[in-house]
Amino acid sequence: MRTERALVGAGKAVAVAAILVWSLLPIAFIAVSSFKPGQDIFAVPPKLLFTPTLKHYAELWHSWGAFFAGLANSAIVTAGATALAVLTSTIAGYAYARHAGRWMQAGMAGLVIVRLIPPIVVTLPLFPIVNALRLNDTHLVLIVLYATFFVSLGTILMRTFIEQIPRELDEAASIDGAGRLTILWQVIVPLAAPGILAVSVFVAVYAWNEFLFAFVFTATRAKTAPLVISEMIGSIDGVDYGILFAASTVQLVPVLLFVIFMNRHLVAGLTAGATKG
Amino acid sequence: MTDHFKALPSRRAVLGTMAAGAALIAAGPGRAAGKTLNILSHKVHQTVLGTGDGDLLKDWQKASDAELAFTTFDSNPLQDRLFREASLGETDFGVGYLIDNRPTAQVAALFEPLDDWQKKNPIEDFSDIAPGLVQGMTVGGKLIGIPVRHATQGLFYNEALLEEAGIAAPPTTLEELIEQSKKLTFTSKAGTPVTGMVLASDLAVFPVMFARAFGGDFIDGQFRLVPNPAAMEAGLAALRALFEAGALPRSYATTKNDDQVTWLQQGRAAFTVLPFARFAQLNNADQSKFPGKIKAIEFPISAGLKGKMPMASVVEAWAMSIPKNARNKDLAWSYIREVSSKRVTLGMAINGNGPVRVSSYADAQLKAKNPVAAVEAKVLADARGAFPPFPEAARAQATFLEEVQLAVIGRKPVKEAVAAIVERVKPLMPA
Amino acid sequence: MEATKPIRVWPMLAPVHALVLGVIVLPSLYVVWLSLSASTFGQAPVYVGLANYLKVLADPAFRQALLNTVLLVLVAVHVELLLGLGMALLFASGLPFRRFLLVAVLAPYAVSEVTAVVMWRFLFDPDAGPVTLALRAWGLPTLDWAYEPSHALVLIGLLTVWLHLPFTFVILYAARLAVPGELYEAARIDGATRWQAFRRVTMPLLMPAIVIALLFRYIFAFRLFSEAWLLTKGGPARSTEVVAIYLYQEAFTFNAFGPAAATSWIMVVASLLLAGLYALVLRRSGASHAH
Repeated sequence: MRTERALVGAGKAVAVAAILVWSLLPIAFIAVSSFKPGQDIFAVPPKLLFTPTLKHYAELWHSWGAFFAGLANSAIVTAGATALAVLTSTIAGYAYARHAGRWMQAGMAGLVIVRLIPPIVVTLPLFPIVNALRLNDTHLVLIVLYATFFVSLGTILMRTFIEQIPRELDEAASIDGAGRLTILWQVIVPLAAPGILAVSVFVAVYAWNEFLFAFVFTATRAKTAPLVISEMIGSIDGVDYGILFAASTVQLVPVLLFVIFMNRHLVAGLTAGATKG
Repeated sequence: MTDHFKALPSRRAVLGTMAAGAALIAAGPGRAAGKTLNILSHKVHQTVLGTGDGDLLKDWQKASDAELAFTTFDSNPLQDRLFREASLGETDFGVGYLIDNRPTAQVAALFEPLDDWQKKNPIEDFSDIAPGLVQGMTVGGKLIGIPVRHATQGLFYNEALLEEAGIAAPPTTLEELIEQSKKLTFTSKAGTPVTGMVLASDLAVFPVMFARAFGGDFIDGQFRLVPNPAAMEAGLAALRALFEAGALPRSYATTKNDDQVTWLQQGRAAFTVLPFARFAQLNNADQSKFPGKIKAIEFPISAGLKGKMPMASVVEAWAMSIPKNARNKDLAWSYIREVSSKRVTLGMAINGNGPVRVSSYADAQLKAKNPVAAVEAKVLADARGAFPPFPEAARAQATFLEEVQLAVIGRKPVKEAVAAIVERVKPLMPA
Repeated sequence: MEATKPIRVWPMLAPVHALVLGVIVLPSLYVVWLSLSASTFGQAPVYVGLANYLKVLADPAFRQALLNTVLLVLVAVHVELLLGLGMALLFASGLPFRRFLLVAVLAPYAVSEVTAVVMWRFLFDPDAGPVTLALRAWGLPTLDWAYEPSHALVLIGLLTVWLHLPFTFVILYAARLAVPGELYEAARIDGATRWQAFRRVTMPLLMPAIVIALLFRYIFAFRLFSEAWLLTKGGPARSTEVVAIYLYQEAFTFNAFGPAAATSWIMVVASLLLAGLYALVLRRSGASHAH
């Protein structure tokens, strides 16, 4: 019995170690290599001991100003898309949670079906439209696109979360003479905060990392960070892997911290979104 | 599941985050004063213009109160993007850099004819710009681009590795090149496994050079498809032999242009084919393990043709064009005039650009900075583009490369691959 | 539920539905029109019927891409399921530092596809990648992904699994946590072995979550683009292309909008067919499990 328990413990330890290596090693390698002197990065055999250097970060700062402008654009677009998606999904989710009927069911089904259309499909027709509206290369177009591709999931999630709030609370407030927006604002939003945070994590991570739309719809003014990184990969004038790793690390750290900090809400959102969607 | 609901942050925290986001949107991106000229180009074009004190255009920017904003992409995505922008109602881009094998009649119609601009406000000593390059940018009698860079392909080799393998002199024939490449597939003194030659597999340039070394071609200037199948077969067979001997990387099918630079700098390959203008970068002490040891010569022709005809190396030219739908064409033309001036052309050449002016090659400073300038000028005399422009050129190139890859990595006999190239590309050729 | 007066509800639904309609639904319908016509830059579309669909379906390159995509989706999604299930059970069995481990497992969710490709290309670089060198040092076979199409597909699959395992894991883990402990207690009292408890209690109760996770992953994995594009560009000789790469090339390399639009719709339909068929099969076998 004791040996069996020891064996199980050892097995678990091995499994846990494997999970850690699998999840974290690729990230660690990039981050560590960004501090390696240029010639050591692809040295054969790889150097485990090296003198850490900030050289690549300094070079990134000096010669890739566009990357930092891209980070700022990513921040603006992420904040905007998150705000837009959360606002619209919360209102719609509230409506779907509190009202029934054939039209409501049809609307909900529509939102589910829309998730089946791959984003790449709409790039072709949207390009001339966006241009005709003079929205090309603006933050607004990315904000609207990112929010739209998540409002269906967002609405489904918010409905799920709001359904768990007892209707008696709405009714009590209603008797006190509160209007619907007041009820939503003062009763629902505080209690549905976990849902709002879950939706925020989805949209924010997506908007921060997205590549395809940013590539198609931005050129100079609204270019986001992943796009600049891809330009670094694509600039054949001798890619300096150190700078590339440094930029990847800078792009990754904020969103990684965000996901770590918000992990409970991410889990709650994934669960609710998948099972109720 | 329930424990996920425990962390209830205050509503204020949530709203605060949203308000901050809204404030950021309202602020918008910072924009500099004065005019901005948006330029769609390859990174290399921006690099050769210099930065800081070495910025070749700083006086022009001051004089015209304009700021330059470059958007850079790799060659093919850049062309795709440029045409997409130029086909819109209006574009932010004033200047776009165009590759010489892309302007078909259809594409040329998207760009401003520059003859009138040249008449009104001419470029300094225009006849000094290589006439062949100007010709390549004239479509249907209209000049649609001003040549700004040519990339003439040469053979680069690592002198230190050649010495190590006991090879006294670089190859003078293609056969010698193949033999030396095989010999240079070894482990160097430094312990690095060396591959004789490294070539990218996604560009038509390299198989075309090999075919031309035997007097053949893919599509020649008269739109003849594989005019000499035997020569194409000989060229692909040579590449196949290199791959079979391990003298081309096993990762050939995914090797890209930038890998060639890295491999040579790291001493992982002894030979490669790159534009002569890469000389400075390959010998850059910050990036290269072999600064000063990387040399360049003309790509050698096969033994059978040596002395009978010159080697027609591949040259790719870039030109500056103005999309017809651009907003500020005056500023764009002013930029083009300045970049085409003798001073800036020479300055860019010293920074590693292939100069389009014949006079640049005579400059002493350039000769000192770029020891291969003389060789390059000589190779350029017989060089021509990889293939001429036509509507389905992109698909034709992709099809050609697909068959070349199959032949080189040994999935298809060379003879069959060449037959397939002819058969599959024929329907794509212009009528 | 209160009887709905549409006039009162619609204003609340309008923003979401207007966004979805304007940005996704109407443009997708326009793609239908594009797929029935021939067009390129600076050229008005001309109606050509089903020619684009026939052209795409007859193209050997498309068939190869479809085959690769289906293979990748089938393998990657099931590997994700097995790993995710194993990890969910491991986590549920009680682990020290559970919260920290959970966060570690979620980490890849934060990584953008561009960055992930930078990482995995570097790790598996055929000549200098740390993983390649380690495998070689231990005398293990390395991934010859730059030469062997099948190895390249394996690497693309690995990368896909890495990026999306957090999703599958979380869904299965949450479902496992929702299984009441009393059921296991009861099974134990009935003298069931661990394996029997797993077969009789865990699996039937997890089945709905498994079906959901698979359906989502089938549909989303079918869109796979960046991983394959940035790793191999579909090479060597178009042998590792996936449907989304084929679409991208038709649209943006060859500027053939008609075939690109047709590919879009074939892609949507194929992913739905695959997911639908699978759900059907799984529901049936799941139902027989439960009884």
